[in-house]
Amino acid sequence: MAAVLEARGLSKSFGGLQAVVDIDFSVAQGEVLGIAGPNGSGKSTLFNILTKVPFAADRGAVLLDGRPIQRLRAHEIARLGVARTFQRESVFPSLSAVDNVLLAAEGARRGNFAANLAAAEQALDLAGFPATLHNMVAGQLPVFLRKLVMIASALALQPRVLLLDEPASSLTPQEIERIRDLIAKLVGEGMTILLIEHVLPLLTAVSDRLMVLDHGTLIASGLPADVIANPAVIEAYLGRER
Amino acid sequence: MDLQTLVSILESGAALGILYALMAFGLAIVWTTLGIFNFAHGAFIATGAYLAWQFGNAAGFGLGYWAGAILAVLAMFALGVVVQTLLVRPFERHRDIVLLTVITTLAGASIITNLLNVIWGPRMKQIEPALGGEVTVGLVHVRSQELVMVVVVAATLFAIGWFLLRTPLGRSMRAVAQNREAAQLMGLDVRLLYALTFGLAAAVAGLAGVFIGSIRFMSPTMGDDPLQKALVVVILGGVARFTSSIYAAFAVGIIEAFSTYFVGLYWTPAVLFGLMIAVLIIKPEGLFGRRQRSV
Repeated sequence: MAAVLEARGLSKSFGGLQAVVDIDFSVAQGEVLGIAGPNGSGKSTLFNILTKVPFAADRGAVLLDGRPIQRLRAHEIARLGVARTFQRESVFPSLSAVDNVLLAAEGARRGNFAANLAAAEQALDLAGFPATLHNMVAGQLPVFLRKLVMIASALALQPRVLLLDEPASSLTPQEIERIRDLIAKLVGEGMTILLIEHVLPLLTAVSDRLMVLDHGTLIASGLPADVIANPAVIEAYLGRER
Repeated sequence: MDLQTLVSILESGAALGILYALMAFGLAIVWTTLGIFNFAHGAFIATGAYLAWQFGNAAGFGLGYWAGAILAVLAMFALGVVVQTLLVRPFERHRDIVLLTVITTLAGASIITNLLNVIWGPRMKQIEPALGGEVTVGLVHVRSQELVMVVVVAATLFAIGWFLLRTPLGRSMRAVAQNREAAQLMGLDVRLLYALTFGLAAAVAGLAGVFIGSIRFMSPTMGDDPLQKALVVVILGGVARFTSSIYAAFAVGIIEAFSTYFVGLYWTPAVLFGLMIAVLIIKPEGLFGRRQRSV
């Protein structure tokens, strides 16, 4: 199947620190590619250089539907359909929940106000955000609802591929279950997803394939069950047995 | 103090306040959105006045007061975009952007002031007011031009507030001020929005210049004093909300009017700066502010 998003030889360094080293991957339409790795292994940096927010890769190519996008500016990449959420719930605090999502709808569609508003409300519904809280100021919402606003904003862009960076962090087990249901619902609708997650049961349950980074390098990739049994992955997470 | 004096002090304070609100708005929106302090703001005020004089006055192109004012405001928007592109954008992602843009905008202010001097000369000029004479309402005698100013500035501030709250572009400008990275991910062109914000600030500064130039004499350095007052307003009010600096502007205007009456003109800046220092010590986020950068 043709790749929706493909990375070739992506690398990023900060001074002497190599954060991402020569990473190749591709994700097909409707596929969920899970990304795991210990803290500081370069997972979020990989998302940063894919979206160019806040910085671009030093080397390598990123292709969306076969078209190179690494020379485009960050907002152009977003408009083409690479949507991303952050590990921390990153919203516009003084804007209402619906205005937060409306911005993304306006960024993506350039339609009239009514159509954009309808798209924003639809995205909030899809994310499972309570309809009674649409007009609540985003900064005053609890963490879980702010995460839903962020995910709904990403969905309102009508993305070709959705990059979710630790959507389950700082959430209760019940909330994690709802995130898992949401991802399953999105997959059911044919969404292509790149998922970074530390909660391994969630990651292995929803991912079709898994890749594991350590010190910016790809150390394993394949089916989730095979990857988590890989000795190199166990060593990266737990350390070498002496 | 008799009632007549009190009323005229209050009237003069309110007129000053509304002008200060206009001047402070530009500083506040540039600070909240781009995170920098624009020292060229005073030079923008002066340039707006000279352009309005050039377009509107009989000694210039003679297009009349309102055409002069509108053309000056439009030209100032363009100048704001140019200044942002040349003096601020190159340092956008730089770690020391605040310090670097203090230097570049100060340099820009100096260049603009000197250009005004070269083009229009150091001799004092004044924009012919839209309306001459005085209006008397009860105990208050107001110059007609001041009344025009109050009405136009109030309408402008209301329109800007509506624009920021109700239009897609205004919402985008507020969003980019609150979270640059999230804004980029929502498909917002941050570079364009920064330029538009700077342009809007310059246009509003230009409008303030038009009014100052029609109630006082103009000189190339006429923006220096308003820049100081606008700084006091922004610090007193804080920048948490669009309305914060408007409240603070009226407070500063009325304090200045009372201070001029009781303490004298020369000591008034000392009173205002003393007050500003006290607020910085006691409530650094401003009298109407919260501890965050946001509009």
